[in-house]
Amino acid sequence: MKFLLTVSLLLLSLTTALAAEPLPSAAEIQRLGERMYRDGLLPSGAVMKAFVSDDVPVDGTAFTCVSCHLRSGLGSIEGEVVTPPTNGRILYQERKPYVQGAIHVPLIHNYAVYLPERPAYTDQTLAALISAGIDPTGRSVLKAMPRYELDDRDMAIMIAYLKALSDQPSPGVGEHVIRFATVIVAGTDPVAVESMLLPLQFSVDRKNRLAAAAGANPRVARMGYNMLGDLQSYTFTLARWTLTGPPEGWRAQLDDYYRKEPVFALLGGISPGDWEPVHRFCEENRIPDLFPVVDYPVISDSDWYTLYFSRGIRQEGEAAARYLHGMADLIKDRAIVQVIRDTRRGRALADGFRAGWQATGHTPAIDVLLPAAEALTGERLQQIVAGHKPAVLLVWDDAASLPAIGALAGQPDRPGLVLASGNWFGQALWTVPEPLRELVYFTWPWRLPQEDARFDISVNKIFAGKSPAAYDPRIVRQSYTTGEVLGKALMEMRGEYHRDFLYDTIGMMTDMYYPLYERVSFGPGQRYAAKGCFIVQLGKGEKPQLERRSEWVMQ
Amino acid sequence: MIIPLVRALLLSAAATLLLAAAAGAAEPARYQRTIERYTIPDVVLINQDGEKVRFKTLFDTQQPVVVDFIYGTCTTICPILSAGYANLQRKLGTDTTRVHLVSITIDPENDTPAILKKYLAQYSAKPGWDFLTGSRKDIDRVMNAFDAYFRDKMDHKPLTFIRSPKDGSWIRLYGLLSGVDFLDEYKKAGLQ
Repeated sequence: MKFLLTVSLLLLSLTTALAAEPLPSAAEIQRLGERMYRDGLLPSGAVMKAFVSDDVPVDGTAFTCVSCHLRSGLGSIEGEVVTPPTNGRILYQERKPYVQGAIHVPLIHNYAVYLPERPAYTDQTLAALISAGIDPTGRSVLKAMPRYELDDRDMAIMIAYLKALSDQPSPGVGEHVIRFATVIVAGTDPVAVESMLLPLQFSVDRKNRLAAAAGANPRVARMGYNMLGDLQSYTFTLARWTLTGPPEGWRAQLDDYYRKEPVFALLGGISPGDWEPVHRFCEENRIPDLFPVVDYPVISDSDWYTLYFSRGIRQEGEAAARYLHGMADLIKDRAIVQVIRDTRRGRALADGFRAGWQATGHTPAIDVLLPAAEALTGERLQQIVAGHKPAVLLVWDDAASLPAIGALAGQPDRPGLVLASGNWFGQALWTVPEPLRELVYFTWPWRLPQEDARFDISVNKIFAGKSPAAYDPRIVRQSYTTGEVLGKALMEMRGEYHRDFLYDTIGMMTDMYYPLYERVSFGPGQRYAAKGCFIVQLGKGEKPQLERRSEWVMQ
Repeated sequence: MIIPLVRALLLSAAATLLLAAAAGAAEPARYQRTIERYTIPDVVLINQDGEKVRFKTLFDTQQPVVVDFIYGTCTTICPILSAGYANLQRKLGTDTTRVHLVSITIDPENDTPAILKKYLAQYSAKPGWDFLTGSRKDIDRVMNAFDAYFRDKMDHKPLTFIRSPKDGSWIRLYGLLSGVDFLDEYKKAGLQ
């Protein structure tokens, strides 16, 4: 009762406050509306005032429209709380406990039945909802949705913005086709390129076979429709955009490809080194790129449009820091030394460790830089150890460093632990001699091989008679995951093929268990799916297995 | 453009609501409330400053403690729960440490201390509000101890727990509470 009285008084006060004002241009509405919707800032730059759970005041920057309705405005589901769409195209239609035209599609129908019926909104009822939390049936939504204090002009801008939000299908989506592309940087190992392409093309072909079968057979069409709605009748295309020359010239090539064939999203992509120009292209054009196969992703906590498998090589160094943080009581004030091969990979590992180690408040490690072409000898490594007497020695180098590390084994002042990159050691990791296996630990950014074998049956389907030996098994598994995540996301998009909704949908996915990575996890705005890295040692015996010494994710 | 109609509609809606209020329209229960006893697991978690926290010791106190389960990139439930915490701290005035507010992540996979710290800053959290992360195993143990296990963060439920310093019992609140409800419950626990 108290709540109703409060709302009523608010409504009465609003009726005297409103007055008409001219609206800015469409472009300005888009800019200002987006700022209110996403950042909680009024056109004046002031913070929007909001009240949640009836009466708790919060700054709009802490609790904005995008918090629940997400970027696309097409809503979210979390636990038992379903947030309905807030884009004009849907708000201004009557809502029934089904979606017209998709009554027999469980994926869509099951969503619709959660939401209460209501008449179509009008500008007036929408203004009442935003400012007082009352929907057109008179029902209060204040239990979950804030009410916002907006003046007339700001309210009009907000409503105009909502009307344009996810109003038209994204570029690359046609009546019966969704276009994708993948980016290949010339000079990438051809085996790696083919390993990235094979699973993607398999996913696209599989989807298109369903569409073709549906076109030819009404029973298949009905079955496909019941499973996938309109998605079953779409065909997918996958263009290959090859970038040549230095990275500075890639942007013009990307623009040219995109101008000729706008795509809904980029799938995968591969580069032996740089990726940043492609990342920037996606940011500026708001084009999703799902899972490029790169070692050096762009690290950002705010960029939106590229979803990476992980933080790349750097993540191994970060994991090493977290692992050693867990044993800080044993290390005490003794030194940690990083021997860093002066290459991009060596520096990325060292940077990751440095950032992680210092973030936990420890004394910085001592860095020893090895020139790119200089061999690491046993003598050199012993000099380093003798000079600093480290508790832990990090060797960010390839497997050629193994003999030098081996020379430490019998030394009385050797470090208690040597840590190297299992990724960088590659197959040579399995050749670590037995006496050394107790001393050397490795970062291992994947599921343990003996445990990943259970996915072989699923992955091997994509080879379709081709020899798996002709492909890079890790890249195949990565790209397989890209196809699976894309397929799952598209099925859950309820026929709303908008780029922002693709990421909104992926952000609502539960943790997933695919080949290669121990676990991939998502969440709104999370852009590095595999967040962990094991620390392992090589076990004993002639056919040793890796043995984990840490959890997948350490804090 | 929309203004005259808005005014008419708001007047109409206000009149309807006033009538409903005057008639004493019954509101459905907004949340469930039970009294529980929990056995706190002896695990070490990590706070927003990267410091190790022996979880059990947080409750060796005569100070009121409130616990909830949230995560850093949550979109729907957590902002409401956290707005409630922020509001309580506002009501506490200058001595915000009189009540220990504890948020525990259900997304330890992503929530590093840096993310926890950023999240608290977003809600202008003051001393007395800690946000904890830890290993997935330890977080699972804590969730289980509070009968609040979520298989996945996307299965999240709005739960708040208020511990009475008098007898160590817990008020378990299940639902999205308004600020008034939260403060009422806080007082019912005998806390001022």
